[in-house]
Amino acid sequence: MSVSLQNGLTAMAAQIDAPVASFFNSCVHCGMCAGACPFYVETGDPRYTPIHKLEPLRRIWKREYTFWGRLLARFGFLPAPDDDDLAGWQPLLYDSCTLCGRCSLVCPVGNDITYMIRKAREGMVAAGHAPAGLKTATYRALTTGSPMGVKYPAMHKMIAALEKSEGIEVPFDRQGAEYLLVLSSNEYMLYSESIAALARIFHQAGVSWTLSSEAYEATNAGIQIGSSDLAKELLMRIVDAAEKLGVKAVISPECGHAYTALRWEGPNLIGRPYRFKVVHVLELLDELQQEGRLRLAGKTAEKLTFHDPCQLVRRGGILDQPRRLLNLSAEDFEEMACAGNWNWCCGGGGGVSANPDADDLRRKAFALKKHQFDETGARKVVTACANCRTVLEDGIDDYDMDLDVIGMAELLAENLATANEDKPT
Amino acid sequence: MDDEPTLTQRLRQQGISRRSFLKYCAGLASMMALPPALAPKIAEALERARRPAVIWLSFQECTACTESLTRSFSPTIENLIFNVISLDYHHTLQAASGTHAEEARRQSMAQNKGRYILVVDGSIPVRDGGVYSTIAGISNLDMLRETAADAAAIVSVGTCASYGGLPHARPNPTGAVPVSEILPERTIVHVPGCPPIPVVISGVIAHVLTFGKLPELDDIGRPKMFYGQTIHDRCYRRPFYDRNLFAESFDDEGARQGWCLYKLGCKGPTTRNACATEKWNQGTSFPIQSGHPCLGCSEPDFWDAGSFYQALTAPPVDVSKWVAPAVATGVVAGAAIGLANRLRRAKAARARQPLTADDVKTED
Repeated sequence: MSVSLQNGLTAMAAQIDAPVASFFNSCVHCGMCAGACPFYVETGDPRYTPIHKLEPLRRIWKREYTFWGRLLARFGFLPAPDDDDLAGWQPLLYDSCTLCGRCSLVCPVGNDITYMIRKAREGMVAAGHAPAGLKTATYRALTTGSPMGVKYPAMHKMIAALEKSEGIEVPFDRQGAEYLLVLSSNEYMLYSESIAALARIFHQAGVSWTLSSEAYEATNAGIQIGSSDLAKELLMRIVDAAEKLGVKAVISPECGHAYTALRWEGPNLIGRPYRFKVVHVLELLDELQQEGRLRLAGKTAEKLTFHDPCQLVRRGGILDQPRRLLNLSAEDFEEMACAGNWNWCCGGGGGVSANPDADDLRRKAFALKKHQFDETGARKVVTACANCRTVLEDGIDDYDMDLDVIGMAELLAENLATANEDKPT
Repeated sequence: MDDEPTLTQRLRQQGISRRSFLKYCAGLASMMALPPALAPKIAEALERARRPAVIWLSFQECTACTESLTRSFSPTIENLIFNVISLDYHHTLQAASGTHAEEARRQSMAQNKGRYILVVDGSIPVRDGGVYSTIAGISNLDMLRETAADAAAIVSVGTCASYGGLPHARPNPTGAVPVSEILPERTIVHVPGCPPIPVVISGVIAHVLTFGKLPELDDIGRPKMFYGQTIHDRCYRRPFYDRNLFAESFDDEGARQGWCLYKLGCKGPTTRNACATEKWNQGTSFPIQSGHPCLGCSEPDFWDAGSFYQALTAPPVDVSKWVAPAVATGVVAGAAIGLANRLRRAKAARARQPLTADDVKTED
């Protein structure tokens, strides 16, 4: 066991790099980040001001890396955070932050607050102050293979059933395939239709792909709880499998933080470049469409809107691809106010949906989404993250709204051209 | 005193009509931001004014303040306003000299105890016991203290008396200070300017005579009515500033076109005075109108605010000598601190115990 207050504080000190130091130095205390945070906006509680959530990290920065802080600390005027302090900050660093990145975007001096929250969590988990729900999910992911506790045989059974009902072959461990698709447990547990949709599209487009028996889980609870050690262990399963299969690229599925973990944090976690590429499934679908391999016929008539997953749009840069695809497959697509880079989070990212302590707060924050949806008058919400999807469905139930949520692959599969339709005349 | 001629009679003797006098009063009223209806009140008050005794002390000064008042386009009403007062002591203007002059001052002080107005121009040297400027063997410092004790009101005329002015400029060899520093307990009306605009001097005196009290003052003792706005606010070249049209030298196209003099060092934006509206020489012109930037002469320490010809936003001192060493020191210090912090961080990274699955195991 390495969990202790001291280890937590040391871990935080080790996380403070030059960007963090300059962010703390350059904060002008303007409070603009408050208005960017869904939890502050919906509750009006000043404790939810994003930069305030970083107080423990800021205190350690001051004590360890500034002249005056070190002087004050030497004479006992700037005590290090104790267990009570960290316990008090746990709800702020975990329950009320989805790492959505809106505060980083709004900061007038360019401080990446989200980056710092992610780092502060490294210390929190090492000090034993992570929420029980997230701990359980992380433990399950490490020991069983999936945060929901699904082991490979069970997952394989589900996929086999899908193959049978859909009549499509889903390859496993196919050596030399071009793409390795990793999935999120939400998809194979709750939204198998989404996997079926992808399989149909890949079939039509002639994509050479495979699943892996060793790396069937794309999500990374280590990233959410904030432990690089654990995140690396989970990530290495995918890296090893991909390199063993010799794929050209790994497809990150319809999941937000899986993309952050695999695409952006990954090589830094393992300390070397990958021997494969990472593409998000939306990027691949868009590419297939542009190459003419993914062919659409007809459009969905219902009024649709699109919920941008934060990790894909704000933190990942996938902004245009879903819009191109939506305009091709929907008759009546209307953007929400604040869509795209300024979209409001579903409220359940960054591990919040796996953390029952945060349930009430998450429901409160959903009022923002409800307002956004209501304004468009859409009957259906398309998104590209299975976690967003569960959180949205939850919120829609709570607020008794009449709204369906589907994944992007499903929308495309609905409008996929059959062999006869698509022949150019 | 009843047999003394009234102000109107005196003015008529000087060839000034009552109409001109009323015009002056109306101008004064508008300048003091009073309603026009008050102009006749001012005229009435000035006509009826009893002759208050005025003692004018000149210390370290150049006499320009007196010149401003007396040598303006003659004969002026400002000049003649003096006739309404009894100027009992003024070095430059009085005929008496030596012991007779000092006698006159003491006599006036005794006769008008607690009622006379003290006007000061020039700063007061205090170094070495105030020996650097004496009158009739009395140091300026002693004379000011003695005369101020029983004065009803004190007016500092000119930047020297108000803020120290030229004698106070670095290195200030005589230890010159303004009146307010010698008499911190007294309310002193500052009428700064090098020299002040004549109508501003007479306007303050007229205000005291009309309303029987001092005008409202700003945070550095200036009457708000005359020093409420900056030169820049009321400058006729302001539209060029707003359109980014500047003279870059005194002989370029911009200068010929009459564009803004900001880049040639104009201190108009930071200088509060009435030059841009009242102008000089009977409203003929003022420095900016004749193509020269404002020096900021009515502001404290304007002599020490860098070159008159350096733009306000330019550094007031030459930084080229020490900027390189300062940057080098900063770079070295920054690198050293950065390196030290990097080592501390590496130490923390080594001391950290990595986490394993057991560290996140929960009961369920």
